[in-house]
Amino acid sequence: MELIGLANYAIFMGILIGIYALLSLALNIQWGFTGLFNAGVAGFFAIGAYTSAILTSTPALNRMGGFEWPILLGWAAAMLVAAMIAWPIGKICLRFRSDYLAIATIGVAEIFRLIIKSEDWLTGGSRGITGIPRPFGDLPYVQSQLAYLALVVIAVLVVYLLVERQLKAPWGRMMRAIRDNEAAAAAMGKQVEARRLQAFIFGSAIMGLAGALFVHFNRSITPEAIDPMIATFLIWIMLILGGSGNNRGAILGAAVIWIIWSVSELLTDRLPTEVAIQAKYIRIFIIGLMLQLVLRFRPEGILPEERKRNPVGPG
Amino acid sequence: MAIIDFINFYIVPGLLLGSIYAVGAIGITMVFGILRFAHFAHGDMATMGAFIALAVVGLFGVTPWTALPIAMVLTAILAVGIDRTFYDYLRKRPAILTVMASLGVALMLRSLVQVIWGVDPQTYQRGIVRPDTYFGILLRPRELYTFLSVIVIVVALTIFLRASKWGKAMRAMSDNPDLARLSGVDNRMVTLLLWTIVGALCAASGFMLAINTELTPMMGWFLLLPMFAAAILGGVGRVEGAVLGGLIVGMVEELSVLVMPGQYKAATAFVILLLILLVRPRGLLNGKVL
Amino acid sequence: MSHSPMSVSPATADDFVLAMENVRGGYGDADILQGVTIKVAPREIVVIVGPNGAGKSTAMKAVFGLLIVRGGTVVFDGEDITGWAPNRIVKRGICYVPQVENVFREMTVHENFEMGAFLRKGDLTAAYDRVYQLFPDLKAKRKTPAGDLSGGQRQMVAMGRALMLDPKLLLLDEPTAGLSPKYMEQIFQITRDVRDTGVSIMLVEQHAKQALAFCDRGYVLATGANRHEGTGAALLADQEVAHMFLGG
Repeated sequence: MELIGLANYAIFMGILIGIYALLSLALNIQWGFTGLFNAGVAGFFAIGAYTSAILTSTPALNRMGGFEWPILLGWAAAMLVAAMIAWPIGKICLRFRSDYLAIATIGVAEIFRLIIKSEDWLTGGSRGITGIPRPFGDLPYVQSQLAYLALVVIAVLVVYLLVERQLKAPWGRMMRAIRDNEAAAAAMGKQVEARRLQAFIFGSAIMGLAGALFVHFNRSITPEAIDPMIATFLIWIMLILGGSGNNRGAILGAAVIWIIWSVSELLTDRLPTEVAIQAKYIRIFIIGLMLQLVLRFRPEGILPEERKRNPVGPG
Repeated sequence: MAIIDFINFYIVPGLLLGSIYAVGAIGITMVFGILRFAHFAHGDMATMGAFIALAVVGLFGVTPWTALPIAMVLTAILAVGIDRTFYDYLRKRPAILTVMASLGVALMLRSLVQVIWGVDPQTYQRGIVRPDTYFGILLRPRELYTFLSVIVIVVALTIFLRASKWGKAMRAMSDNPDLARLSGVDNRMVTLLLWTIVGALCAASGFMLAINTELTPMMGWFLLLPMFAAAILGGVGRVEGAVLGGLIVGMVEELSVLVMPGQYKAATAFVILLLILLVRPRGLLNGKVL
Repeated sequence: MSHSPMSVSPATADDFVLAMENVRGGYGDADILQGVTIKVAPREIVVIVGPNGAGKSTAMKAVFGLLIVRGGTVVFDGEDITGWAPNRIVKRGICYVPQVENVFREMTVHENFEMGAFLRKGDLTAAYDRVYQLFPDLKAKRKTPAGDLSGGQRQMVAMGRALMLDPKLLLLDEPTAGLSPKYMEQIFQITRDVRDTGVSIMLVEQHAKQALAFCDRGYVLATGANRHEGTGAALLADQEVAHMFLGG
């Protein structure tokens, strides 16, 4: 019994780690390889989650939709909508230093949170959306969980291989050159802008996909499911700790941080209620502190980026 | 609607909110201008300042407006400490890493507030205060004090920056850091002064928002977007621009309810931000673009 | 303005206000300077010319501590200042005017001068009088932001800012870059006027012919090393130098 419970928990954890690994990989495309500061990761995640939820769920009385689209179409739409929102934001902000993108992406996440909360007819407001289908949802519990785990693993693997292949292509070499040398980037002009925009849109689409995977795993979603700042922050620390610029590092970081985060939640849940709430916020404090410690003592992360030494001489 | 009602229901609240944004945006624009990074812990530093004022009120039984200067001093010390602990060592690395560190500090400050003061809304003083009438304009004492405080703060800061040796050094550092160093300006002293001012301004903006509404752990985070919009609208590095930008953003937010559902008030700052980046990234008063 | 008599090369190192000898160094790992020797006598205008990439500006930055110096010495006013930080060098009496970004654009002309005197204490009236006498054009513009001035006037503000500390040696990095011939002559004239107030001047110039015609002595650098040196007139007369620059 204990063992089965543990195995079930491990599968459950595996699925969530996979979803976070997708987010971490997506952020790696933006930050790790291109140097774009997306501070609204949770926003794009939520956009994907709600898009797929609205399109694929069963019809409901309290809101528009439930269109019962096929799940795969819902996922594709999640990526598309996230990309379509990323496009104008990137178009406006990528001309400037990444600080501006960070501000604007915080804005995206906040505005989307307002929309989720206010537009009952679309998002179900605080009641959220239920009746979201799950692939292999008809199978018995364990098989269903395993099947979903397989699905998530495949998604992570596909994204991983895609990104790795792109990195070895001229595209990837150019991106790194842009990131490491703003002056050279400026000299390359328009072309660079287009490449940075591509990276931002592609990363955001993957974040949307992760949101869709999450919502179909959960079968429902409410505004409380995603605290934009904490979720975004978790993903950042996953990438930085794992090793930004290294895809395997991004995946490893997702696993390490998610395990620490969940286990600490299990521990604090056992505390008496008076202190449990405080403990919850202490956990958040520690996550913030952890980022500072990583930045200070191991900025390259656990698995540093593999760099070819290219000596740069002046003049 | 009579013109006086329009003033009382839209213009006065807009100016009030705008001057609170202005005080916060001054700090943002100064950090952006001098240290050249977007300080994302600004809003949560304001939250912390407001709660420190609450603690001062509770501990010493003074009135909130007496607690404000004390809270400003304490938050200034906190800001300097945060810089020394979390930002200073990153100075020689790309500035964007400091932006990231500041996001971490934002999270830490907010969770500290939640641990110490809990998550429920609080107020400095209970009870309903009736507004007084000045030539038909309705103003509560706290609103009057807010306007007066903002004027005092802006005037004092302007005099410091225009007339004092170190104020000029700060402007020089914002204008041309290499040349400022060649002229013998000590970077560390400017940074120390900067965070002292920024901490005090954060406390003031947080306090003034809280006394006109209520204290919540999230209040500062919601200030962040309008404050950045105000700083960029005015022109990065321009103190007078931040004031102008703050007033415009506050006013537009209050007026937006005439044409938009009220719950999207907060979205107006975002729209202003994107518009100004699109058409005039240097801002109204020709600031910097990073 | 009268020309002071041409200085003849002094005999010993003590007679020079600045002596950089056999300096090697660069910004990163690679040496841009491969052993450069430049000396400046009191009240002398020394000009450094050379083709692009010769290391002219780099040599000047080596004096001011903006370079990693890996060999040789820089002696100023009898003291070895090799490897000193710029702010220490400023206090010792050398001021440097960069080629670009050399004024505080958002600050007024007068505030620029104030910033130049940042490290000075006491009464500055004499210092202000001196710069406004040297640059009378700026007197009427003292409250104008430096960024609103013309290129030539900005260069004057930059020089004025540097003079506020009353340096013994003034380093000017391509002060006439991008200026019209009229302004170029004016800057050269002002440089002489500054020299006549007792300051030694070292400047890097792109306009070799005009610069050699007006300086006391000149150095020609190529690929990070000394190539020729002598009085301006002698260098102008030199066949090889003429071939290098003067389209011969």
